[in-house]
Amino acid sequence: MPKRFAVARSAKQRDWCGFLAALCTAAMMSAAPAARAADAEFGRYLSSECMTCHGGASHSTIPDIFGMQETTFSEVVKAYREKRLANEVMQTVASRLSDEEIAALAAYFASIKKSN
Amino acid sequence: MTAMTRRKFGLFAGSSLAALSMPLFAPAVFGQGKPRLVAVGGGPGGATVARYVAKESNGAVEVTLVEPLKQFTTCFFSNLYVGGFRTMESITHSYEKVQRDGVKMVHAMANAIDRDKKEVVLADGQRIAYDRLVVAPGIDLKFDSVPGYSEEAAQVMPHAWKPGAQTQLLVQKLNALKDGDQIVMIAPPNPYRCPPGPYERASMFAHVLKKKGFKNSKIVIIDPKPNFSKQAVFVEGWEKHYPGMIEWQDPEIHRGVKNVDAKTGEVQTGFETYKAALVNVIPAQMAGKIARDAGLTNQTGFCPIDPASMRSAVDSNVFVIGDACIAGDMPKSAFAANSQAKVAAMTARADLTKSQAFPARYSNTCWSLIAPDDNIKVGASYEPGDGKIKQTAGFVSQKNEHADLRKQNYKEAVDWYDGIVRDVFG
Repeated sequence: MPKRFAVARSAKQRDWCGFLAALCTAAMMSAAPAARAADAEFGRYLSSECMTCHGGASHSTIPDIFGMQETTFSEVVKAYREKRLANEVMQTVASRLSDEEIAALAAYFASIKKSN
Repeated sequence: MTAMTRRKFGLFAGSSLAALSMPLFAPAVFGQGKPRLVAVGGGPGGATVARYVAKESNGAVEVTLVEPLKQFTTCFFSNLYVGGFRTMESITHSYEKVQRDGVKMVHAMANAIDRDKKEVVLADGQRIAYDRLVVAPGIDLKFDSVPGYSEEAAQVMPHAWKPGAQTQLLVQKLNALKDGDQIVMIAPPNPYRCPPGPYERASMFAHVLKKKGFKNSKIVIIDPKPNFSKQAVFVEGWEKHYPGMIEWQDPEIHRGVKNVDAKTGEVQTGFETYKAALVNVIPAQMAGKIARDAGLTNQTGFCPIDPASMRSAVDSNVFVIGDACIAGDMPKSAFAANSQAKVAAMTARADLTKSQAFPARYSNTCWSLIAPDDNIKVGASYEPGDGKIKQTAGFVSQKNEHADLRKQNYKEAVDWYDGIVRDVFG
């Protein structure tokens, strides 16, 4: 789980905090991890875009996504793609990701614990 | 252009035959021994590509990074040093971790590229053979694009558009100002490194003057462009934080820079002559010399590339990334260079090890600080399209945004800096 989440608050959009609380509950209720049809190599390549911002040790606004539970990762990225979560950087990044690409990314980040 | 450049190289080689006779590393035949990737330039582009190829090939590719400096001070966030928000130390990074990741560091100046022999020639004449080369030299300044300006004049009227000593000189001059002293900035024409950079810098000048309590100093920006990056939100911020302090002039107002005089501190335009205690001249720019000499540039002074791979349009063994390349809709920024480096790394690795390559994707975001906790941003996604790197989605900060959002942007920028320097330097 990421240590801390915070994003710009907007009256129209939910922020990480509330969104994540709901997701955590759903994840705990999940019986088994989703099947991993995703190509690990593809996930690794896609992840390089994430590394520009998420690879650091400073996480006051940009969360640590290494080791993040797959369902959580996928749901959060989809929420950005659908603009249910605020943050234009993430909305733009997510806007071109298909469900399969999000699954590949989720599998990749769930499988590693640390950047660099 | 290629043929002419190779002739130029021949002249250079002819004058230094003895020194150039022995390759630094044994020449390799492709398919025998480890394939070799050499990157020239250890900035956000070159260091990223070197690290990614070294790490992701798990040692299958011999990776060499040629960079004369042992420590790299980033241009990005250097404006925050100007404004007193960062120390020089906090924006300076070593290559120790790059080396730890399996990259062979060569701290020397690369003088030339012999594309026929596939070798990089160092200043001392030694040669490094490559199978794939990544050229990431950044920009050179066209000093003569501003009448009266020169490399010598830059010691008095700093450009501070390359990191390190020039930035420190700029800050020394800024700190020496007295209330009533004027600042003149001459902004660069497109295309140039860091499109919002001049305007963030002007904001940092104003922040320092305001903090000192100056009431009578003014900052005049003489711009060759009719508009600039994030203009609406910059101007809004200037009016809010520094009312009356920053005056931006487009070409219709100033009617061109006629002359700058480092001895008198005068800047003469078609509109008026200014006498300033600090003159910051940011001239027009072009690809770094080694890229130009190697025949990798076109008439624009920058290097055309294949948008699907970052491969040079004139040499398939060479990639050009970062500020030196023509990246279509992408700006010249560290973020962009880092993004391009990943596409180049993936493609070069596929060339050298037959690893899988995927469709190229690029991204960029630029954050700019106007005043404490008032940060604006612009960003986009890009993909190959219409023969260039084409923007597919994007955003820019809007006027009248809530202060909390701007503060959040600043925190995000600080987090991003930590992330990207780790991605680049380990």
